[in-house]
Formats: sequence, structure tokens, C-alpha cells
Amino acid sequence: MASIARSALLRQTAAFPKFSVATQAIARQSAIANSVRATAAFHTTAQRALLPPLPQHVDGSVNDPAPVPAPSPSHGSYHWTFDRLVAASLIPLTITPFAAGSLNPAMDAFLCATILIHSHTGFQQIIIDYVPTRRVPRTRKLFTWGLNAATAVVGLALYEFETTDVGITEAIKRVWSA
Amino acid sequence: MMAQRVGTTALRRVAGNPNTFFTHNVTKLALASSLSNMQTRPVATQKLTPADGDSILAKQRLARPVSPHLDIYDKSQTYFGGSIWNRITGSIFSGGLYVFGSAYLIAPLVGWHLESASIAAAVGALPFALKGGLKFLLAWPFAFHCLNGTRHLVYDLGVGFQRRTIAKGGWYVWGASIVGGVYLAFFL
Repeated sequence: MASIARSALLRQTAAFPKFSVATQAIARQSAIANSVRATAAFHTTAQRALLPPLPQHVDGSVNDPAPVPAPSPSHGSYHWTFDRLVAASLIPLTITPFAAGSLNPAMDAFLCATILIHSHTGFQQIIIDYVPTRRVPRTRKLFTWGLNAATAVVGLALYEFETTDVGITEAIKRVWSA
Repeated sequence: MMAQRVGTTALRRVAGNPNTFFTHNVTKLALASSLSNMQTRPVATQKLTPADGDSILAKQRLARPVSPHLDIYDKSQTYFGGSIWNRITGSIFSGGLYVFGSAYLIAPLVGWHLESASIAAAVGALPFALKGGLKFLLAWPFAFHCLNGTRHLVYDLGVGFQRRTIAKGGWYVWGASIVGGVYLAFFL
């Protein structure tokens, strides 16, 4: 051990008699590159790029705690309860017109509106899950506003369908028994 | 090893006090004279500023593998799980509604006929098996989303979280939705 140690030391001393500031900076850069390469080599998990991760970056210092969002009941528990109420109300709304065999335009309009809200919040949840702001902030904004626009268009379309055609319940009945 | 250590220590002593007798060692001595008597380690360490250290740590974190691959999980909990299929079947319907809605809105401009009467006529003209198959493709997701959605609403009440209940419930929903889909498509 000692022999190895000494010879390395001698070689180093011969090669760099005095570190200049510039050499120190270069050495530091290469040290960073080396340590990153060394850690990458320690990862033994097989890399499978089936679902490559979205771009990541570290905000601020690495040891900063994850930011805790400010509590907001309208984005949290109220929103959650509202989603459940909409979902639960869809059960009687979908079954009643077919079971009762009678059609009521107001009920049909209410069904359309509820389905639209349920679809919108469902798509919102999908976007929130798969297009995280932390990774892809601009894509997230694009998707969110794209969804808002699409929901507005479909809302208009459903109004058109309800007012000029026979309504969603009767249309499904027609197609199904065709 | 000890001998070598002793040798170099002697060399150091000589380097501090050059002796003309050791002329054959002049080159080594010249090198050794720049060494201090302090013990040093052969590990090459670098002085890093805290900022550089942070950037190394940040790069290491970015090089970490993200999350375990879906393959490692139990298939019945991932690929056949009610939760993800609830989302898939819901997306089929909502996506279909959004596509149909947009198409219905631009239909008069492009000359498509998407009125309920013409769609019903087009569907009515299809052979029975194809018609039934198409209806099943709509009826199964509908049945699944209805049944599994109800299951999730029950979960939201805090009921039915035993492992056996969850596992069994999942298979019941699959079975019932397929049976229901076939009934809605072919017998209604």
C-alpha cells in the first residue's frame, strides 16, 4: 500500500508542481463530471425506456423541502365532494329515462349538463395526473386551456343537439333499437 | 511493506538534510525535497465550493431511476385493476362525446349527416353480428364504468377496504360488466 501511495504522490508532485487557479477550476469541473459518472455506474436498475420520464429539474437547493401547497377547500374537499355528488347523481339520471320509458326534456338537459361536468372534471384529473406542472408547466397550461375550450365547444354542441335534434336519451334509444 | 515505509522515511529525512554521499539518489532527492514531512493520502480530493457540491447532488438526483417498472407489480392490481379501467372506460365515453359533439357542430359546414335519424338508419343497415359487436364495444365500457364507479363511490364512504373484498370485488365487476355488456348489446 505504501509503495503505491508514495509513487502516486511523487507522480502527482512531478506533474503539478503548483496548482494555478485555472487548473484548479478545470480539475474541479472534471471532478464533478467524474463523480456524476461514478454514481451513474452505481445504479444497478435496468433502464427500460418504455415510459421515459418527463424532463426533471431541481428547484433551488437540493435539500429544500418539497413545497406544501396552501390549503384550499374549494380545490380540495369541496371539489372532491362536488365530484362525488355529480358522479352519484348520474346513476339515477341514466337509469330513470330508460326504466320509466318516459322522456322529459328538462331531465334530458340536466343529464347532458351532468355528463359534461363529469367528463370535464374527469379529463381534468387525467391532465393533473399525467401532465404535472412541476415537469412540463407549458404543456400543462396548453392541455388545461385546450380542455376548457373543448368543453365549451361540446357544451354548445349538446345545446344544439338538444334543441334541434331529439335529445340524447331518445337518440340513444333510436340507435340502439335500429 | 515495512521496509519500504522505513526506506521512504529515510529518504525524507535525507531530503531535509542533503548529504553528498547519496549522489546516486540526486533525482529522487530533488523530487522528494518538495515534499513536506506531513502524512498524505493517495486519494485525490478536490476542493469544491458548496455551490459545486449542490450541483453534483442535483445531477445525481436527476440520474436516479424514476420509479419501478409496471412489470414488477401483481398483474391483477395494475393491468386488470378496476381503478385504471374505470379511467379508461370513462375516457372512451367522454372522448367519444367530445369527438361527436365537435363533429356535430361542424357537420352542417362540411356536409356530414350526424342527425340521430341518419345515424340510426346507418346502424340499422348493418348486419346483426357487426351491429351487436359495435353495440358491445359501447355497452361493455358503459356497464364497467357504471358498476366500478358505484364501487368507487362505496369506497368513498370508507366501506369495503378489506384486501379480500377489494380483490373479489374487482373480479365481480369484470364478470358482471361482460355479462351486462353482452345483454345490452344482443338482447335489448
